[in-house]
Amino acid sequence: MKTVVLLSDARHAISGRATLSGLEARAISLAAALDPAPRGLHAGGGAEGVSAGLGHGLQGLDVLDLPEGADPVPALAAHLQAALGKNDAPGIVLAGRRGEGGLETGLVPYLLADALGLPILADAVALRQGEAAGTLVVDQAMQKGARRRVTIRLPAVVTVHPLAPPPRPFAYAKMRRGEIRFLPTAEAIGDTAGGGNGSGSGEERPHRARPKLMRTGGTAAGAHNLHVGPEPEEAARLILDYLEANGIRRYGDTRG
Amino acid sequence: MTAAAFLPWLTVAMVLVAAVQIGRRVILWRGGGPAAVDWRAGLTALPRRYLVDVHHVVDRDRSASRMHVPTAGGLVLACGLLVLGLVPAIAASRLYFALVALAFLTMAAGVFLEARRRYPRALPRLSLGRWQRLPVYLGVFALGGFATALLAALGNPLPALSFLTFFAAAAAGLALAGTAATGPMRHALAGAAHLVAHPRPARFEGGRSTDLAPLDLDAAKLGAETPADFGWNRLLGFDACVQCGRCEAACPAFAAGQPLSPKHLVADLAAAAGGGHARPYAGMPYPNQRPTGGAAGLHAAVISPEGLVHPDTLWSCTTCRACVEECPMMIEHVDAIVDLRRFQTLELGAVPSKAEEPLENLRGCDEPNGRRLSERTDFAAGLSLPRIAETGEADVVLWLGQAAFDLRGQRTLKALIRTLHAAGVDFAVLGEEERDCGDLARRLGDEATFQRLAAANIEALSRHRFRRILTADPHALHVIRNEYPALGGSYDVVHHTAFLAELVAAGRLAPAALAGRAVTYHDPCYLGRYNGEVEAPRALLDALGLERREMARSGKRSMCCGGGGGAPSADIPGDTRIPDIRMDQAKTTGARIVAVACPQCTAMLEGVTGERPEVRDVAELVWEALEAGGAAATARAKELEPA
Amino acid sequence: MSRPRRDPRGERATKTITAAGRIRLDVALRAARAAASGRPRRDPWREWAASLVDETHRKRYDRSQRQMSREEAARFSTVRDTIEATAISPGQPALRVIEKPAFLVFAVVEAAGGRLSRFDRQVLGAARLLADAGDGGGAVVAVIAAGATAGDAARGDDHETGLGAAGADRVLVLEGGASPSGRSAAMLSAVEGLSPRHVVFAEDGDGADLARRLSVCLGEALFPAVEHLTARQAVRALRHAKAEIGLAPPRLMTIGEDRAKPYEAIPCEARRLDLGPFAGAGGTAARGDDSAILSVEIIPGDPARLSLSETDFVVSAGNGVSDFTAFRALAAKLRATPGASRVVCDAGLMPRAAQVGASGTVLSADCYLALGISGAPQHLQGIVGCEHVIAVNTDLHAAMIERAGLAIVADAQRVMPALLKLLGEAGA
Ligand SMILES: Cc1cc2nc3c(=O)[nH]c(=O)nc-3n(C[C@H](O)[C@H](O)[C@H](O)COP(=O)(O)OP(=O)(O)OC[C@H]3O[C@@H](n4cnc5c(N)ncnc54)[C@H](O)[C@@H]3O)c2cc1C
Ligand code: SF4
Ligand code: SF4
Repeated sequence: MKTVVLLSDARHAISGRATLSGLEARAISLAAALDPAPRGLHAGGGAEGVSAGLGHGLQGLDVLDLPEGADPVPALAAHLQAALGKNDAPGIVLAGRRGEGGLETGLVPYLLADALGLPILADAVALRQGEAAGTLVVDQAMQKGARRRVTIRLPAVVTVHPLAPPPRPFAYAKMRRGEIRFLPTAEAIGDTAGGGNGSGSGEERPHRARPKLMRTGGTAAGAHNLHVGPEPEEAARLILDYLEANGIRRYGDTRG
Repeated sequence: MTAAAFLPWLTVAMVLVAAVQIGRRVILWRGGGPAAVDWRAGLTALPRRYLVDVHHVVDRDRSASRMHVPTAGGLVLACGLLVLGLVPAIAASRLYFALVALAFLTMAAGVFLEARRRYPRALPRLSLGRWQRLPVYLGVFALGGFATALLAALGNPLPALSFLTFFAAAAAGLALAGTAATGPMRHALAGAAHLVAHPRPARFEGGRSTDLAPLDLDAAKLGAETPADFGWNRLLGFDACVQCGRCEAACPAFAAGQPLSPKHLVADLAAAAGGGHARPYAGMPYPNQRPTGGAAGLHAAVISPEGLVHPDTLWSCTTCRACVEECPMMIEHVDAIVDLRRFQTLELGAVPSKAEEPLENLRGCDEPNGRRLSERTDFAAGLSLPRIAETGEADVVLWLGQAAFDLRGQRTLKALIRTLHAAGVDFAVLGEEERDCGDLARRLGDEATFQRLAAANIEALSRHRFRRILTADPHALHVIRNEYPALGGSYDVVHHTAFLAELVAAGRLAPAALAGRAVTYHDPCYLGRYNGEVEAPRALLDALGLERREMARSGKRSMCCGGGGGAPSADIPGDTRIPDIRMDQAKTTGARIVAVACPQCTAMLEGVTGERPEVRDVAELVWEALEAGGAAATARAKELEPA
Repeated sequence: MSRPRRDPRGERATKTITAAGRIRLDVALRAARAAASGRPRRDPWREWAASLVDETHRKRYDRSQRQMSREEAARFSTVRDTIEATAISPGQPALRVIEKPAFLVFAVVEAAGGRLSRFDRQVLGAARLLADAGDGGGAVVAVIAAGATAGDAARGDDHETGLGAAGADRVLVLEGGASPSGRSAAMLSAVEGLSPRHVVFAEDGDGADLARRLSVCLGEALFPAVEHLTARQAVRALRHAKAEIGLAPPRLMTIGEDRAKPYEAIPCEARRLDLGPFAGAGGTAARGDDSAILSVEIIPGDPARLSLSETDFVVSAGNGVSDFTAFRALAAKLRATPGASRVVCDAGLMPRAAQVGASGTVLSADCYLALGISGAPQHLQGIVGCEHVIAVNTDLHAAMIERAGLAIVADAQRVMPALLKLLGEAGA
């Protein structure tokens, strides 16, 4: 099943250098399990950073030449549109759920799916081929370890969740041997004006760290809830009541 | 015709058989990669290398040298004499046979001494099997030859007996020669050839050569996957092993029950080159051996589930070089291990899972723990720590290293910085321009990252004017001093112990005596063995008036703390931990302080739980003595001056 | 109850008697003081008390988000004309009713398992803040996409009470089927029909997905992962939290977890809203990928096999537990993920992966049940994020007892079988 992995122009969190996003590295390992020769697709200034994808399991990389700061969606859409028309059209387009180090809106895959008229599924942690030809089974991450198993007809865009299995380890020689094709940007299609980059009219300014809400607890019942030396049965009762009162679990009818 | 007259022909036959056998090996070695060898220099240096360098190592185990000198000497002498016996005039001389008998007797005496090491019970580090039977063959050959020659010298009174003894000698001798390709006697020829074509000629005649060779990152294959990927003289080296087990006895990973024995590994590599199914190995197995397939071959992968060696074996090594230091055959285990690691890391990405993160961080932000380079100097808030970018130039560049990010390491660095101020040293740090030195990446086989980091550091250093680089980290010291030159950066690098010893000797520091305390010094591998610096730290401790007690293993033969070679990141489980073993050795000296000179050693030894001596860096002890001597006040005053 | 704020200047002015060029104050003129400013008097003590978040070790205050106390909010709401609050009668909670909202704010909540999560309540809190912004008078509409995880539960009264307490004036249940595009189509018609001033989503899971789909359908910018929200601006970080953008609160936004305070003042009405008139009005065809989805199946998380970092409920054993068969059975019965202290892992009684703490796993679970764990600092570091902690320990002075919201000083070996028995009776 031919798979394309979208590679964003990610920046390293510490050094700020161009790098391969960790989510996309995970996407590559998911892709490599479906396609013996997954390819990467990047629209941007060069292959620096994203070429690491080759070391993580991509067999080839297409780089669409794009000026700094330009919206990558039209270029990507045009390229994929052309590819979808061909014989060995890609069945799956994988992406990370958010970019790293850029605008971090997570909108690109949606805009792209919209431009291509493809369905999109978010937050995949596992992928496998469906029973019927041309279908894909996607496990989506949900809260509390639950998974939603969706069977989807291809082609489709799928974004990858951080809980997906860790990427394949990096091998320098594979990166060196991988093939990189630099392509001129084809004529743009699709209109992406609406989604924008999520920055709206706001000006960028240095970040100010703001504390998150503190998670502390046990104060649901108000005062400190201390019981010294209760009978085991009473202790058990107290614990279950507490769990149910705070909505942690429901255990059916425990009132004997 | 007497039986003795056949002895020269036996020798010729043995030499021929051995030559054919060794020829098979030579063909194998030629299957290895190319290696530049200066044959003439090697051949002329051979006697010296053998008689001085090798003997020096062999002689550390007296019973070995006492056994080997007469055995080998007697054998070579007897065979040499016997070849002369091909001249009929000489063969007719009874005196000649007396000499031959004497040579055989010498050999027999040596064999007797060897047998004593193996019977009734062999030393544990020795291999059994064919190695255990070797003295039997040698003994029969020596005694048979002796009796035959003696009878000839006496005028052949018992011809029947002499034929009997001759046949015994012939059988044993031909049996030895017949196994010259695969058996114990391989070591003689391979060993000699290894000395001639040694990959590190600079390590002989008192020299030192411990740097890893840079890898050509554009090569078709990176690192060693199969035996054929090693240079041919490396294959030759593996064949030279005598399975004496000295490396194994010195190996910290083996002692800690991790699945590594350098002896076993070298035997495996030699066997792997031979192909087929590996010959049974009769030494101690890898501790907690992991199962492997056992398939071998010149072009078969060594490290693989089907291969001979399990990856855990490879990643247990701390690159401490204790094995290399102890090996009488001058085998370079660490080079082999790093070559194998390079393939695993660069071609397969198959590093131990816990080592992936530091390597990824090094690739991403030049720092193994993912910290910002600009934060390296944060610990020195309140200390005056000039940046070279601000001062323009300095006499000494202080290379802070990884320790600057670690609370414990910072204490050492602070003591060092205060001491430098007290001595009025003109120094500065690189600040943000200092990247990780690349030691960890290189030992974990990530040569690409190492070369990138090294190039960046060399570039940063080239921007500034300074005379020397000072560092408290022996790993940084080693790579900058010994491994950067191959990449185009040659610097005068000095370790803080040597530097402080210089200052004390020059009278620029006046430490008070810290008398009444006993201390034992733990030599960091990368300072002692890799760089031969064992005197300066001891001189410093003596200058502080401390009572110095030596551990049984110290100096160049010291034992590793377990912190090198990326072993802590690889974290291969064993029965105990290496630092626990080392700390026990320190405890037996009764000293209350273990003096160290490396942040990695400090971290490893401080991680030992329970009642134990205090771990102090030499720099901390020096600063304490300075404080006691009142130098502190002046230094403090200096600190307050703006940088 | 706060008295009205005094206005000393005004009071002085009323007491001033201008006579023969001299200004005199008539202190006796007490009756004249009613020239109050109309603003309520600040009560710093109460404000501090309201921002107290934790009183276990030392007092911790969180003043990053100002919050009115219940009483204040009630009094406030009576002042506003668009808002009518039922009079507070003792013993009966007041209800905040907004009959004619000036505008609407959507809060899209997931309500997995029919229960509002902590994050859901934060989304509602953020929406509440926007609804009360400026002149106020806005109404919060809790939007629940049925067919998500537990849409049906959303119809229960029980649930709506929860929504009201969390700040929802209205509740809108969208019938969009199980597919994400179906949900986004329903969402789109609701937005087009009700024209909310703001739509707030959670930056997680389906909420985040829906927000982006809506943004693309509407062709309107999304302001994602808001980190700081006030009535006047919404701020989000970008470029690895090196830069940020601040805007007047935009129409579409997702909010980061633990970034907005849940609403805690008097319950709102949570009146069911019928989309009836709007359902067809939107009429926008779903952007047609419905047909691409062939099947959907929910696989519930198995706590026993979940990783510690992912689970919501951990039962953990320390050195005080000796009966590990009972412990494992208990973890299974409680549907919790088993964990352990380092001592237990070191002893090989539990796998290394089960270790909770600084050198083990740092949890993000909601609830932590600690059996026989002393609560060493390295261990407590692993549970700082846990909202509910239950401790069973024989030592009254153990740090874990101190940390716990429910602390039981008893022998774990006896409590475990009792719990198992009780759970068995409950048929769990
Ligand atoms: C660098 C470092 C890192 C560390 N990291 C971690 C870490 O990540 N995670 C971690 O857990 N620890 C960590 N530790 C270890 C930590 O300091 C404690 O030693 C450990 O957490 C103690 O485990 P415990 O509470 O199970 O055992 P104990 O301290 O022995 O406590 C047992 C408790 O059980 C109670 N008890 C005894 N019998 C019963 C009974 N029958 N019923 C009920 N209660 C009973 C006792 O009153 C006591 O409070 C770390 C330590 C260091 C130095
Ligand atoms: S490698 Fe060297 S030290 Fe080790 S057994 Fe062989 S000869 Fe001895
Ligand atoms: S370098 Fe050290 S750890 Fe590695 S094999 Fe040699 S002795 Fe063992």
